[in-house]
Amino acid sequence: MKDHETLSERLAEQGISRRAFLKFCTALASLMALPPESAAAMAQALAKSLRPSVIWLSFQECTGCTESLTRSYTPTLESLIFDMISLDYHHTLQAASGFAAEKSREDAMKNFYGKYLLVVDGSIPINGGGVYSTIAGRTNLDLLQETAKGAAAIIAVGTCSSFGGIPNARPNPTGAVAVSDIVRDKPIVNISGCPPIPSVITGVLAHYLTFGTLPDLDDLNRPRSYYGTTIHDRCYRRPFYDQGKFAKTFDDEGAKNGWCLFELGCKGPTTHNACATTKWNGGTSFPIESGHGCLGCSEPHFWDAGSFYTPLSAPVVNIEATTLGAAIAGAGVAVAMSSLDRNKIHRAQQAHEIMSVKDL
Amino acid sequence: MNLQRGIHSMIEQIDGPMASFFSSCVHCGLCADACLFYTETQEPKYTPIYKLAPMRRIWQQQFTFWGRLLFKLGLSKPVTDEELAEWEPLVYDSCTLCGRCSLACPVGNDITYMVRKMREGMAASGHAPEGIKEATRRAIELGSPMGVTINTLKAHIKHAEKETGIAFPLDLVGADYLLVLSSAEIAVFSEIIPAVARIFHQAGISWTMASDGFEATNSGIQIGSSDLAAELVNRIVKSAEHLKVRYVISPECGHAYTALRWEGPNLIGRPFPFEVVHIIELLDQLQSSGRLKTTGTTDARMTFHDPCQMVRRGGVIDQPRNLLNKIASNFVEMPESGIQNWCCGGGGGVSANPRADELRLKVFSRKKSQLDAIAVKTMVTSCSNCRSMLEEGIEHYHMDTNVIGLTELIAEHLAEPSEEPKP
Repeated sequence: MKDHETLSERLAEQGISRRAFLKFCTALASLMALPPESAAAMAQALAKSLRPSVIWLSFQECTGCTESLTRSYTPTLESLIFDMISLDYHHTLQAASGFAAEKSREDAMKNFYGKYLLVVDGSIPINGGGVYSTIAGRTNLDLLQETAKGAAAIIAVGTCSSFGGIPNARPNPTGAVAVSDIVRDKPIVNISGCPPIPSVITGVLAHYLTFGTLPDLDDLNRPRSYYGTTIHDRCYRRPFYDQGKFAKTFDDEGAKNGWCLFELGCKGPTTHNACATTKWNGGTSFPIESGHGCLGCSEPHFWDAGSFYTPLSAPVVNIEATTLGAAIAGAGVAVAMSSLDRNKIHRAQQAHEIMSVKDL
Repeated sequence: MNLQRGIHSMIEQIDGPMASFFSSCVHCGLCADACLFYTETQEPKYTPIYKLAPMRRIWQQQFTFWGRLLFKLGLSKPVTDEELAEWEPLVYDSCTLCGRCSLACPVGNDITYMVRKMREGMAASGHAPEGIKEATRRAIELGSPMGVTINTLKAHIKHAEKETGIAFPLDLVGADYLLVLSSAEIAVFSEIIPAVARIFHQAGISWTMASDGFEATNSGIQIGSSDLAAELVNRIVKSAEHLKVRYVISPECGHAYTALRWEGPNLIGRPFPFEVVHIIELLDQLQSSGRLKTTGTTDARMTFHDPCQMVRRGGVIDQPRNLLNKIASNFVEMPESGIQNWCCGGGGGVSANPRADELRLKVFSRKKSQLDAIAVKTMVTSCSNCRSMLEEGIEHYHMDTNVIGLTELIAEHLAEPSEEPKP
């Protein structure tokens, strides 16, 4: 692959027509809630763009994020979007290994200092100096700090790099944290999800290539166009929720009729993601369509938010035991305090000098 | 008499209700508008709960976590003698213990109860007004705050016996009722003595007076010394026990009723072996049971001034109205009468404190506006202290209103034995 080849040339080589490419751009633009005319602008920009250098660092992760992007189904434009970029380092995908692999990262950092995009998947363990995950003898923490320095922007792909994810779940033995907990002086986009939706990754990359900026972000630094509404807001089972029709078990009449899965623990109402609209596997379906509630994987601490099968309205802790414990502790403190106070009043009473008229 | 003794005394006074009142105060300020010293002067320092500020700080420093911590660290300044001196006029001159603030408090804090308790510490630290101190000395040493003695009473009795032809029982063992009077009744409004005798004679009740316990006012309560208050209450309790009476009649005196009826058993630390009944309560009982018969009505426009200790602290509200309705055909209520009635301004020891005279007469403007609203020439009341204060205020404001005692009014309308309808 030549470094200075444009995307349209590259696509033509692969037998992808300009019409198919325009359709892809239109789909991306509408997904990102951009005005219709920007599809053409996007196509033009993407077609002409020189491929920016991208360094992809994988830390404490399962490779699911990379799988989501590259292997979700037969090769499509989403996977081909890799062609828009010059992926200079990705230890799962690259052919090189050992010193050669590390050298390609160092070269990219040197040649494109201040311009390359850094993509991170996986959380960074910081306990014990970060020894729980190392690459080429260096800790993830060290690698991230070094590589982040010259990055134009960082894209945290997946819930682990966005919020800490499953490695961060209690009791978090490795001290896993998110990229944003370590790097504070670079623009960071969190593309959360376990794994995230492939077209969200490509959408953010396309936005960056077209406009040279990162998309509008929400309070958790997620692209608003994909994470602006909840699964519940866009869920095709929403009308059943509004009518109060709930499946009570996974095999009852309600479940068979496709009623709302709220009572079976669906986290859709509190989960911000685009699953209900973009869907998965080439638009086939998304979890709720398969009859299972949303796990809330694109939200921070989803693994610690109680059982996947407990309704959102049910408390996570054992209310009775907690209240009883608090009441007993409170009563104990109250008894101790009141006996102290009683002693004080008793002493004052002992010290009481009877008042006579002479005292006036 | 020193600061330490005062602070100790306040600590001793902080009980469960005090602590919960202080901690539940929401600083809403509604008590201000319930206090006539605030409404008539608009001075924020007269806000009832503010009058308790030093005691509140003692509570915080002694009984709350943060208060204790700040006190230990020297960040919460200790209560000083100067501070108590500054608070003396607030606690004594501008509070009649009328109970209107307690009624207004949205969280149910009994502010009057707290002021009463704070006065214990004020008196112990030597910060009580001279006037009340002197009254208390006279009460303990001479037998009554105004200096009247049993001899003064005996002279009045002789007079009344001549006037009514009714023999006055004194120290009669085994009588049902023991009548005690207030010193104002003996010294100033002595017409009540023959009036009561005539009513009791007609109703045919067995009663007596006691030469060792003839006076019921209680300066100990006003100054805030439970020790002295107990000594005064004990005189009556001993006489009542000695004479083996079943009832003690509280006179037309607000705080004497409070002292006997509500504080008495707590002061002496045991239950009374007799019942305490206010003279107006008794007259109402006698009338409703048919033993007290009145005749004729007066058509003069009349109103009734509710003594604070009777309505708000004692709950005696309907009884005077029942009695008045029998004899007054033209009875009108003042605005905010009954449980919401405004104080005469001289209760709770204020009348015994000459330093407070100017302020007391100033705030009488509230009573004046109540009276002006109904333009009534005759005001009836059932407390001799209220009566003195009302007369002084009316004089001060050059008003044309006449104040009379309810018991005397009843006596004037007493049916002659010959007029009694045969049963």
